[in-house]
Amino acid sequence: MTPSTLLPTHATAPGLSGSATAPTGTRLAVAGDLLNLLRATTTESRPDEQLEALTLAVSADLPVLLWGEPGIGKTAALTQLAGSLDLPLTTVIASVHEPTDFSGLPIVGDDPEVRGVPMAPPQWAVELVRAGRGLLFLDELSTATPAVQAALLRVVLERRVGALQLPSGVRIVAAANPSASAADGWELSPPLANRFVHLYWTHDREVVVRGLGGVWPRAELPSLAPERLPEAVAFARRAVCGFLEARPTLIHRLPSTETRRGGAWPSPRSWEAALTLLAFGTAASASREVLALLVRGTVGDGPGLELLAHLDRMDLPDPETLLADPPSAELPARGDLRQAALEAVVAAVGARPERPRWEAGWAVLVRALETGAPDLLVAPATALASLRRDDWEVPEAVERLVAVIGLARRADQSVHRVAVADGTVRTTPARR
Amino acid sequence: MSGGTERPLPRPMARPAPPRPVADTAPGPAGGSGTVHGGPGLPLDREKLLAGRLHAVKVRPYLAGALFALHVVEDRSVPTMAVDAHWRVYVSPGFVARTPVEELAGVWVHEVSHLLRDHHERGERYGREHEEYGPRERLRRNIAADFEINDDIYGDGLPMPTGVVLPSLLKLPDGLLMEEYLRTASMSGLTGNLTWLDCGSGADGQVRRWDRGAGGAHGLSRQQRDAVRFRVAEGIRGRPGNAPEGWRRWADEVFHPPQPWRRLLGAAIHSAASAPGVGENHSYRRPSRRSAGLRGVLLPSLRRMPPRVCVVIDTSGSVSDAELGSALLEVAAISRAVGGRRDLVSVISCDAAAGIAVPLCRAEGIELLGGGGTDLRSGFARALRSRPRPDVVVALTDGQTPWPAVAPPCRTVVGLFPRPAREAEGDPDYVPDTPPPWARTVTIG
Repeated sequence: MTPSTLLPTHATAPGLSGSATAPTGTRLAVAGDLLNLLRATTTESRPDEQLEALTLAVSADLPVLLWGEPGIGKTAALTQLAGSLDLPLTTVIASVHEPTDFSGLPIVGDDPEVRGVPMAPPQWAVELVRAGRGLLFLDELSTATPAVQAALLRVVLERRVGALQLPSGVRIVAAANPSASAADGWELSPPLANRFVHLYWTHDREVVVRGLGGVWPRAELPSLAPERLPEAVAFARRAVCGFLEARPTLIHRLPSTETRRGGAWPSPRSWEAALTLLAFGTAASASREVLALLVRGTVGDGPGLELLAHLDRMDLPDPETLLADPPSAELPARGDLRQAALEAVVAAVGARPERPRWEAGWAVLVRALETGAPDLLVAPATALASLRRDDWEVPEAVERLVAVIGLARRADQSVHRVAVADGTVRTTPARR
Repeated sequence: MSGGTERPLPRPMARPAPPRPVADTAPGPAGGSGTVHGGPGLPLDREKLLAGRLHAVKVRPYLAGALFALHVVEDRSVPTMAVDAHWRVYVSPGFVARTPVEELAGVWVHEVSHLLRDHHERGERYGREHEEYGPRERLRRNIAADFEINDDIYGDGLPMPTGVVLPSLLKLPDGLLMEEYLRTASMSGLTGNLTWLDCGSGADGQVRRWDRGAGGAHGLSRQQRDAVRFRVAEGIRGRPGNAPEGWRRWADEVFHPPQPWRRLLGAAIHSAASAPGVGENHSYRRPSRRSAGLRGVLLPSLRRMPPRVCVVIDTSGSVSDAELGSALLEVAAISRAVGGRRDLVSVISCDAAAGIAVPLCRAEGIELLGGGGTDLRSGFARALRSRPRPDVVVALTDGQTPWPAVAPPCRTVVGLFPRPAREAEGDPDYVPDTPPPWARTVTIG
């Protein structure tokens, strides 16, 4: 039986030179000195979104599939992850194993008809069970034969190796090469693909060049804040449920085209995984970038992006809060979000049109004019003006929006000039 | 975009003639255009710039989200207007002063198009794949990106700014992608007077000296950029009537780009040929060599069963020789890579009746006989009758054919040459069937 590759969690620090043990001056001792010099590298702190996403998915105990070309540093990332989670790392190179190494070796005893044939587990699995915890890295899934892949998926998804059940303290990560570049056609069927968090591993040119120069990155890995757990669960539930209520067609959508086979797609199962990951990401205060990697890797690009857009909208200030205290209203700095917030304010006024609310709406627009670009205000101001009732007087605040009206008129004139030049409109505009 | 006086030249030019002189008589307010870089020039006419954006929003409402997401940075070293990958737009006050509002609107849409179409990343990727870097390449990429944009964004309320580059300048067809323009055109004839063209790092991926970088204020992160692009695409797809054809195509493909058919066909044949039963796999048919050392343990052994691939080719008149040739070569190369020896790949040409299966090793100058109508059913039948039976049948066809009623007892890949729907001559009731669901269909070309 092929022994598994058991890597220590931390590589032993290379001490300088074997000169104490080996006689100095031998060729190998000099070579050893040179190697030690080469290995003496330092690390620098550097945010790494891929690694953060991987850490969160592994903490959440969801099966992760790392897609990446060979030699891209997946193993190095796993070593760092194991160190930070304080788990011993077991790497199993799938392509050098046989199916029985994962499904158990049938051992014929004296009386198989009565006693049955026991399926003996391999040594690495026994050791993992004995330790009770560990990070199992199934590398090179895509170069294994189909029979081995089939056996491995049972390990990943059911956590069983032969007759052994892997304990809950064991976390599993698999790695595969993208099917287009794989030597043979490894492709996940949609039901299998749906169970994984797909993370695409790429290399950063800058990191590689700096690392070869002697400075490797050291990622600050996210850790869960105990006091934020209830809040994180509430947020994740609100986000996913609110989103799926608005977009029920996205609850279940099988991949339809050849390009999307074998990748992430939305189903109740993967939405549950996305909810879990959102909660973990929130509890760890992970950035939107990391959440995006996780969500898109779980429910697919389209639904994932839509959920993220929904999160952005959840971040927008509540229109009622803005209307309650316009002078100190905090509006988003980004233009498109700011316009969305202002449109929400106008919609809120329109939903319950009362004169004080209408005037508060104008005050919010004035506040927006003082703090940002005026052209965003044209559409909300037009909409707000159309809500006016006959007996409502125009508030003084509107006077301060004159600049906006001028801007709108200038743009209108410009549009009109073009229309005249194109011949679609003949008359000149009513200038004043 | 054009203008500016001090862009570094890729090489000495005989006659550097910028298409739009800088110190011109400005149509805008305030005397003169000011100095283009350094020094206290005239202030940025923000109102005029934003009126241009408003014009653009009015005539292209589906781009409003993207236009408003841009953050304006005043910078005197920018020749005209430029964008970076983080959705900042750098604006030269002089350029705004001398450009009419309606042209500014066109420039806004032009610049945001670079970002929506992800030109900086595509440019970088192209550069990496083709190992092409340097100022000359930057310019070439910028021109190709401009070609992709300019041929379909103007008109319909948006006047074309002066000095804009169009594919017709190089006698190239409209409607291609930036990569296609880069591959097909040398652009050497153009560079003489377009050296000034510079839409910033957002257009070609190369950092300029005015760039504020990723860390600066008001930059959009990758996730935010994707979110903006996604919302714009969804808006266009939700109301497809408002947007022109080019934008609708972009919206359909932006997050699901069509993959090159070669890779898809390869993946389909790979997975068909290496599925259980064929290819290299473990089997209990013969004991493993490991068994000798392990008494009482049953071990499978690795056996190689190379797949037999039979290619059925539709040789009816509607498929061109060039299409067939390229697809056939591809199938042969793929099946060899899967492990099939050359003699395991055979070819059947099929129109209304099927020819005989010809092994590929003897089919160097294979004669694809046929013409007229198609009935692929005879081709499938012939393929399945051949002995030994194939493990994979690959059909190359334009789909104008009836299909077998039941799934053949082997894996099937259909390479489909897309055709616009048309009526068959002489038989108005003839409706070609779509490829059946049991086949894996890859659209070719």
